[in-house]
Amino acid sequence: MKSYDVDGTSLFLALYKDVSNSKELLNLMHAGTLEPEVAFLNASLIPDVFPLLAAAQKTLIAKSRDSLTTRTLHSELVFNYSGSKHITESLKRCGISETTTYVLAAQFASPDEMKAVDKLIDGKEIDLEELATGANNAQIQKILPSQHFKISGLELGISTLADAITCRIAARDAL
Amino acid sequence: MEINQNENATSLVLLKQGAEARVFESTFVGKRSVVKERFSKKYRHPTLDSKLTLKRLNAVSFEIGGAMHDKGKTTWFLTPVLYAVDPVIHTLTCEFVEGPAVKDVFLDFGLNRVSKEQIDDIATQIGGSIGKLHDGGLIHGDLTTSNMLLRSDNNQLVLIDFGLSFTSSLPEDKDLYVLERALISMHSSCGNVMDQILAGYRKSSKQWSSTLNKLAQVRQRGRKRTMIG
Repeated sequence: MKSYDVDGTSLFLALYKDVSNSKELLNLMHAGTLEPEVAFLNASLIPDVFPLLAAAQKTLIAKSRDSLTTRTLHSELVFNYSGSKHITESLKRCGISETTTYVLAAQFASPDEMKAVDKLIDGKEIDLEELATGANNAQIQKILPSQHFKISGLELGISTLADAITCRIAARDAL
Repeated sequence: MEINQNENATSLVLLKQGAEARVFESTFVGKRSVVKERFSKKYRHPTLDSKLTLKRLNAVSFEIGGAMHDKGKTTWFLTPVLYAVDPVIHTLTCEFVEGPAVKDVFLDFGLNRVSKEQIDDIATQIGGSIGKLHDGGLIHGDLTTSNMLLRSDNNQLVLIDFGLSFTSSLPEDKDLYVLERALISMHSSCGNVMDQILAGYRKSSKQWSSTLNKLAQVRQRGRKRTMIG
């Protein structure tokens, strides 16, 4: 578990592999009884922490203006990370599915609540540094830029995957 | 929110103030960043003003992402990484590019701190980037050497300030002439940089022939630009 400061609010991140109870977590989320509230992301789509922090910053700004697009703060984080305007689709893609085993948990809260999250997840916590190796680059290139732009080999020649994703996240509302 | 904004304001350092916008240095979730704020102009009609401000902001954020989509083909050129766009307070946050502006490098040439090879390399890069830009159908709108930065770690050219950019594929719109004029007035001490730039342009642009023909025409008659906005 690691905490990051996003405009004065702490964002706690923890990375898990071999998660076996994704289905359970998903059901809890759908029923709205997940306690405490937390965002579960498909970690294979996250090559670096930075784009997620950019999404978190965007989420907090929307929250402070009471202009969240989705129902909760944490679903907004997943939605913002997707760089897409399609809510259902982005939650499906960037959130977890019944079979996801590699999960990044993110929470705007306190370390205590994050410990509660740790109990919820049935998996092995690994270091956040592993994100880079665990990312499925081919899948990211296919999915992330949604319908607007695909991240092409040409772009990666001059930029990194994390930068490319950050641009997508930032520019979504302007496109 | 009030408190939050105040906190942010204290961490902003004003870098430049222009007629259209203010540029601040700041940090964005731990990374050094540049914040550009387009302020509204009180002398314009409020509706027109908010439209123009937003349009310019969006133009910037669209192109600053470095992406041009043209007939299914995407062209890439280097721009700063975009971190955030805020349409409510008209700000744009992007990567802080470490390095000098091409303008300063060219001006230093006169003082013998910069070699001829370096200037040639930069000029070729300028031509290459503009060629890619134009082939993608994007016109920068404000091509001057102060809108080009050199990343100090790898000497790569980065284009900035797309606030006046628009999309067009007409040779007439391709703004090489403006750049040429700017070069002549600012950097005549560097010798003929424009030839190098055009050589770079020819290499990277597939439509170089029609563009350069048009440039020759424009040179003879001067430039007229449709001014809207």
